[in-house]
Amino acid sequence: MSSSVVGGLVGARIKRREDVRILTGAGRYIDDVHERNTLTCHFVRSTLPHARISGCDVAAAREMEGVVAVITGDEMAQFTNPINLGAPIPGLNSPSFTALATGTVRYVGEPVALVVASDRYVAEDAASLIEIDYDPLEPVVSTTQALADGAPQLFDEVPGNVIHSGEIAVGDIDAAFAEADHVVTDRLDQHRWTCAPMEGRGGVATYDRSTGVLTYEASTQTSHLMRLLVAGFINQPIHLMRVVTSDIGGSFGLKFSMYREDVALCAAAKHLGVSLKWVEDRNENLTAGGSARDETLTIDAAVKADGTLLGFRVNMVMNHGAYPVMPPAPVVTGIAGHMLPGPYRVPAYRFTSTAACTNKASYISLRGPWAVETLVRERMMDLIAKRVGISPVEVRQRNLIPVTEQPTMSGAGFTLDGVTAAETFARLTEMIDLDEIRAQQEKARAEGRLVGFGVGTFYEPAPGTPEFWGLIGFPFSAEPVRLRVEPDGHITAFTTQIPHGQGHETTLAQVIADEMGVAFDDVRIVFGDTDATVFTMIGTGGSKAGMMATGGAMVAAREVRARVLDIAAHMLEASPSDLQIENSVISVKGAPGSAVPLADLAMGCYMAPGMMPQGVDLNLETTAHYDGENGGWGQGSHACWVEIDQETGKIAVTRYLVVEDCGKIINPAVVDGQVIGGIAMGLGGMLLEHAAYGEDGQYLAGTFMDYLMPSAPEVPEIEIEHLEYQAPTMVGSRGVGEGGTVLAPAALLNAVDDAFGQVEAGRITATPLTPTKVLQALGVIED
Amino acid sequence: MKPASFEYWTPTSVDEAVKVLSGLDDPGDAKVMAGGQSLMPLLNLRLSQPLHVVDLNGVDGMADIRREGDTLTVGAMCRQRAVERSAEVSAAAPLVVEALGNVGHPAIRNRGTVGGSIAHADPAAEMPAVALCLDAEMVAQGPAGGRVIPATEFFEGFLTTALTEEEVLTGIRFTADGPGSGSAFAEVARRHGDFAMAGVAVHVRLDGDTVAQARIAVSGVGLTPVRATGAESSLRGATAAEDAFAAAAAATSSALRPATDLHASGAYRTHVVGVLVRRALRTATDRARGNR
Amino acid sequence: MSDREITVTVNGTVHTALVEPRRTLADFLRHTLGLTATHLGCEHGVCGACTVLLDGEAVRSCLALAVHADGHEVTTVEGIAEPGQMHPVQTALWESGAFQCGFCTPGFVMTIYGMERDARAGRGCPRSRTEIREELSGNICRCSGYQAIVDGAEAALTAATGSASGSETRR
Repeated sequence: MSSSVVGGLVGARIKRREDVRILTGAGRYIDDVHERNTLTCHFVRSTLPHARISGCDVAAAREMEGVVAVITGDEMAQFTNPINLGAPIPGLNSPSFTALATGTVRYVGEPVALVVASDRYVAEDAASLIEIDYDPLEPVVSTTQALADGAPQLFDEVPGNVIHSGEIAVGDIDAAFAEADHVVTDRLDQHRWTCAPMEGRGGVATYDRSTGVLTYEASTQTSHLMRLLVAGFINQPIHLMRVVTSDIGGSFGLKFSMYREDVALCAAAKHLGVSLKWVEDRNENLTAGGSARDETLTIDAAVKADGTLLGFRVNMVMNHGAYPVMPPAPVVTGIAGHMLPGPYRVPAYRFTSTAACTNKASYISLRGPWAVETLVRERMMDLIAKRVGISPVEVRQRNLIPVTEQPTMSGAGFTLDGVTAAETFARLTEMIDLDEIRAQQEKARAEGRLVGFGVGTFYEPAPGTPEFWGLIGFPFSAEPVRLRVEPDGHITAFTTQIPHGQGHETTLAQVIADEMGVAFDDVRIVFGDTDATVFTMIGTGGSKAGMMATGGAMVAAREVRARVLDIAAHMLEASPSDLQIENSVISVKGAPGSAVPLADLAMGCYMAPGMMPQGVDLNLETTAHYDGENGGWGQGSHACWVEIDQETGKIAVTRYLVVEDCGKIINPAVVDGQVIGGIAMGLGGMLLEHAAYGEDGQYLAGTFMDYLMPSAPEVPEIEIEHLEYQAPTMVGSRGVGEGGTVLAPAALLNAVDDAFGQVEAGRITATPLTPTKVLQALGVIED
Repeated sequence: MKPASFEYWTPTSVDEAVKVLSGLDDPGDAKVMAGGQSLMPLLNLRLSQPLHVVDLNGVDGMADIRREGDTLTVGAMCRQRAVERSAEVSAAAPLVVEALGNVGHPAIRNRGTVGGSIAHADPAAEMPAVALCLDAEMVAQGPAGGRVIPATEFFEGFLTTALTEEEVLTGIRFTADGPGSGSAFAEVARRHGDFAMAGVAVHVRLDGDTVAQARIAVSGVGLTPVRATGAESSLRGATAAEDAFAAAAAATSSALRPATDLHASGAYRTHVVGVLVRRALRTATDRARGNR
Repeated sequence: MSDREITVTVNGTVHTALVEPRRTLADFLRHTLGLTATHLGCEHGVCGACTVLLDGEAVRSCLALAVHADGHEVTTVEGIAEPGQMHPVQTALWESGAFQCGFCTPGFVMTIYGMERDARAGRGCPRSRTEIREELSGNICRCSGYQAIVDGAEAALTAATGSASGSETRR
């Protein structure tokens, strides 16, 4: 993109600015950070799922050449505070724990001791000399075990191992079931899978003894939250704590939370007065970094004879793992519960949930953490269609709420407005010919092939509304952007977003350049550094940026632009409303000769304010907050075609079609990238990935040879159609980051169920869809 | 994930490599490194912590491909990618080339060696099954000189071969395919390039439409790759057609008791081996018919 | 374990260094030479982020020892274009919007660079999108879903085969 391009940037397929450093290898990821004399850390981790620590001998490790320190859990507890990541949510039993394990270990991979050494090779050598004695305790692996009477208790503060239980009730659910012509039931045991970004967690903590400032360059989605929490847990005055982010090698929710490793690393750096680096390796990431999903749901639907929904009754049990992370479990179950009725008319609804703690690594966020609601609901819609004898398309058409009938109440009792799931589904159905698909399936069967077709639709809080987040108990906060016109007329904007692949350095520059009438290359986006950016609780996450960060950029740019025009109006003796900014020059519309370059105006404001117009605001820097204009939603509909090899059980996704609506598109390449990447993740999660535990609580997928990430041949070509519904808001754009991952599992499973249905096979209710399970469902092999 | 320390030896000849190994207090403390594509992950994960690594990458003369009469000898240090692209190997032992296409990914095969894969003896790997199927001979050198080990006697257990701790695998001898021969490799993996849940290597010789000889080796179903001897004898003298293939598939599967793991159940492996045997036999016999 | 002196040509520059034999080629490049473009995503040879060229062939630098490069030539992403410039493969991937977080990127660039160089030399390369996907199956990207990477690779390879004579489809 050349700097000469001005105007019309929003909506254009601008090449990403980030890519220049990414493609040339000039990125700055955690292991690329080399502070002076940085030492390396390595965590010694529990090898048992549940045990008392009866001894810890670190003497030999401490004596090893190159080892600077070995810190045990008890020692670490001397200079850190107990960690509690709870929130003021009623009924939440959030246990406190220490940065390194003290007394008891509760999952395989829990950090027990920290080795500080000259390099990672030496640190791992030292770690192998540390002897920890464990007295094994009975492991609690499944939620059934955790919730059983007399189950071993993981924490004194968590009676019955119940972290939280919740309920949502709307309408008269008993009446709905009493009135129903059909009651359709289903269950789903979703397996554990995980974020697995290509770069694991990690950070470089540097303590400056002369100033007392602790700088933590971290791989995190939320630098201000990290700063707030870590400062508290290590007794560092927050004004002397700085968190910086640079390039982040992916996250997908993993790096939303602060982790105990962050606390241990920062505490050790402060304690030792040094610079410490920790880079999570792949084995640690898979074993100890936490994983997601791992839920069991039962669902009953009350339905009329024609397929009209009367009510859903749902129970969700989440396998929470041992230790809480951010966000707390009820945020995830709460979003799942509130989203589950989906974009359909659901007159009565009851949702109950339990989060049970177990001897597994933490339950973490993964791209649409609540996504199981879409999976069980969309599978249920297909079951209903089958029961009442209509097509999967028709059952959805009969129950979807068109945007023209909004605002209205969602099935979970909050206002739906501007939700266009029905419109995306209508467009999808225009693009497919169901009769033709059925004919092709019949033809394939005649050839001995088995071809399945599935659809699904959904909507998501991207960013959601204040009312919705109020029900969840999570803040819907305004989004600040700080923006400055520099003395040369270039623009620096500071976002609280922390991009890790979303391309905000490009998209926010597009927005600001258009607003300010300057070239794309004249705008720089600064992020991550808590010394530079405005305090906010949440960085990047929850598909917020599309609307909220865009809005922040717009209101900040408009505020500064208004000041610029006020100043220029005096200089050009014109009304501000008659002025325009084009190509960094402010001029009177229709009188191009009457003009002042933005650079001259800015230089005057900074260098010679006395010579500038008086009585107007000469401050060309502002911090503005965008309140979100009551928020909005993202939505889409997917269609998935599969072919199942009935001899090997392999599922091939042969075609995948998406109609998505995130409102006004700022950069089509970025939007498509989010959609396609999200779908690849959703398909991989269902077909390949499994963060598996044995019944003994040992972790079974500690390498990429066991934890199977989708590679290029496993991902289909994905066709995308965009709707761009625009609500009557200043910001027409909404989020798009999570939806692909939320809906793809449902479309895929519906396609597989459709294929199975043609040969009267069973149905898979416990994911993942391994070839073994496929052949079991087909009756080819025994369970 | 960094390797533990080891004493590092860089012999420049096979004799020297053997001398290094036999000169150690306990040769069992040593690992011989070829391309390193199996050993390095184990070292990085510290699942293997040898005191000594004897690296063959500097040894001369171990990476030749030679055809003498009916015998094709592939040097143990031949990179898999080079073997895959070798016209000589393709002509004499096309099964080797076909199977190599399933080994990891191009960047793995650029470095990985045929000998390393066979000596590592992963039961789920392609090359051991191919060697077993082709009745290859392993040429080894030890302190007492050279010896030749038939493939059927080579794979003794999980990651365990008939090589002594002081021996080095120097080459693999294959008998070149004659007229009427055909082979095929088939496997099912979770993903492209993964170790297979099960794999089948088949070599047949047809006399007209009659199977004169069949050899079938199966990977991923036990502690070693295994020959399907029952299936082989059921095929001998049979007409190369679906009935015989199905009988061979059934005979192969019924002799197996594979284990269950994260990727597939034992029942799945038992079943899918039969599928693969049928598919590979179809392909191999088609090829044999085209090779008269 | 005694250190070994090795001499390695990296991106055309000769480096002599003392290294522990156990040090991987990736760690030698990243930490001994400070060439941090080569990333480590798994350290057991699955993800491909650490792909470099060793004597012109793509290899995993996490599965080679630094001592293996003694007397050999290594090419990393830092070495395929002049500073501040992009190689046509990089430009094609930029134009296709191939990448998001960028961590896997150097490995993909080096894999595609190797393919493109073969194509340019008339040694053949994957042509169809399916073939490109198979050839890229040793590189894992968590962000993109691969489609835009395949777009970029396809464009780069098409341009390269157009400039080569007598090229043929490999595989």
